[in-house]
Amino acid sequence: MIKKVLIANRGEIAVRVIRSCREMGILSVAVYSDSDRRAKHVRYADEAYHIGPSPSRESYLNGDKIIETALKCGADAIHPGYGFLSENAEFARKCLAAGLIFIGPDPNAITTMGDKITARQTMIAAGVPVVPGTQQKVVDADAVRKIVSEIGLPIIIKASAGGGGKGMRLVRKESDLISALKMAQSEALSSFGDDTVYIEKYVEHPHHIEFQILADKFGNTVHLFERECSIQRRHQKMIEETPSPFITPELRQQMGEAAVKAAQAVEYFGAGTIEFLVDANRNFYFLEMNTRLQVEHPITERVTGIDLVKEQIRIASNQPLSFKQEEVFQHGHAIECRVSAEDPFNGFMPSPGLIRHISEPNGLGIRTDGYVYEGYEIPIYYDPMITKLISWGRTREEAITRMKRALYEYKITGVKTSIRFLERIMDNADFRNGIYNTHFIDEHMDELMSEAPRGGQIFEDMAVIATYFDYITKMEKVAMSDFTVTQSCDNWKTYGLKKNLQRI
Amino acid sequence: MGYEVRIGDRLASVKLIKRDGQYATIEVDGQQYDIDIAMVENGVYSILHNGRSFNIEIIPGDGPKNYFVNSYVNSHEVEIIDAQSRYMMSRKSADDHSADKIISTPMPGRVVKIPVTEGEPVAKGATVITISAMKMESEYKSPIDGVIKKIHVAEGDNINANQPLIEIE
Repeated sequence: MIKKVLIANRGEIAVRVIRSCREMGILSVAVYSDSDRRAKHVRYADEAYHIGPSPSRESYLNGDKIIETALKCGADAIHPGYGFLSENAEFARKCLAAGLIFIGPDPNAITTMGDKITARQTMIAAGVPVVPGTQQKVVDADAVRKIVSEIGLPIIIKASAGGGGKGMRLVRKESDLISALKMAQSEALSSFGDDTVYIEKYVEHPHHIEFQILADKFGNTVHLFERECSIQRRHQKMIEETPSPFITPELRQQMGEAAVKAAQAVEYFGAGTIEFLVDANRNFYFLEMNTRLQVEHPITERVTGIDLVKEQIRIASNQPLSFKQEEVFQHGHAIECRVSAEDPFNGFMPSPGLIRHISEPNGLGIRTDGYVYEGYEIPIYYDPMITKLISWGRTREEAITRMKRALYEYKITGVKTSIRFLERIMDNADFRNGIYNTHFIDEHMDELMSEAPRGGQIFEDMAVIATYFDYITKMEKVAMSDFTVTQSCDNWKTYGLKKNLQRI
Repeated sequence: MGYEVRIGDRLASVKLIKRDGQYATIEVDGQQYDIDIAMVENGVYSILHNGRSFNIEIIPGDGPKNYFVNSYVNSHEVEIIDAQSRYMMSRKSADDHSADKIISTPMPGRVVKIPVTEGEPVAKGATVITISAMKMESEYKSPIDGVIKKIHVAEGDNINANQPLIEIE
């Protein structure tokens, strides 16, 4: 069994991993950059070591420094969390070469799934449905025209090495085809140093539904059901839920089996996620595999009762899975909201800064996975997500009303957050009815942004009163301090003054 | 002590009629409210009015008189308008025609895209620069109808907080 884990990450996920280590009696090691000396993961871990300056490239992405630190402090494993080095096959290989356990899959599985064209070919060979399109890279216009004549428009041109929407071009009109191909190629070259692109049929109004899988090193692979991740803004997920209100029990079973097959095709072990696109007619297509823990993993934990980080550590310690597929159930409904330090009503501008006050929601069916605290200054170098709020209810409706209640209780002052925006989504009729796809936020933007007064004039008047009261109180204090002769911080002086007063 | 308070598009006039510790009578646009008000947490007020309970959070805004205020049902941008800000406002609108607008960001980042060139006319609300910071891309828009006077940075540049990026006149 692993005895000491170095967590090559920061923020809420580092804290999350350390929690499971604590419960398993495993020592935890945090690493931190210049601006993270006061971060929660540093305070919470058993040991903490500085690894470099604030920019990620010089700290959390510096694999060699992290491995060196692990060896020096006697850690036997590295947990990469998500983001940073978690899907870097090169880093995983270096860990293994240094005699460290990489808590994740075999580096070859990361490589195969990391290249989109190879992943597509592997899935087709394994009998997992993929979006119609090319299996090979496309180079010239003739090849593109030929494919379009087979699958029809609209199509999407994607970079093989891509991600995050870069090097991606949607083509609806034949006349745009050639210019779109050239632009996708040049963008792919400048972003990833590789101009290889491929073509896929564009799925209209898709749902983004993913399956969590767990596999040990003895050939046992199970899935832990789906997560509906269609509430996205610019390809960034905002809200996830399980079970999906869109899929049927039959489809769930088919997709689960496909997910297991996909993982087995690359001899996967560890925790992983198979992402699917599901069209309006409930046809599903393999999109990609994430060979790591996902941000939204807590909703799966909440409905299945399985601690995914513990399972990752057990699998990495060469233990077999302790349960079978037929022993995993979805109990109730779980929703996650990602709370970011950003201003949703001003173009979602990031809002880093000092947390003046925070009070977290509580009560039955509520979990928060965050890392900020009162007096903490959110650094400007990293992701603006500061906390995740997870609600659970026996039914979807209960989970939604509970989430709404918890969002109301969540008070973070000092920085602007997306809490208000998330609340409005919880209030949206289409969301409540479970009728939504990946275009939800775009299609409802006006409604979600509208300042339509709710609850009547009195709430607005009370907001005016509180602000006014706060302002006049501040002014009084300023006026008072003008009369104070000296503003001294010296305790001895104050003591002396008091003594003198007493004498009088 | 009376002030005007801007809340969203509404300009409300507020007056303190009387106050005795936490008990106060405050008039908003002619409507009198007898309230019991207490700052219960840093930045959070509890107001009781006729038995109804209101919890109001106050987040300081960009200036000393700007706030971001949350009530149970909504969130508002609120600004206190006193004599000083009225004076500033009148000066600002007079200055508006002559003064250049300078676009800058509150945090360091990288310039992703500049869709405009020097000398180009821009409409109010048109994107003039896209900045990537904290893994997010934000579009900065022109606050006025004008002409791009000067571009201080190039696409791909790393920038500091509050550095002038683009001047519009």
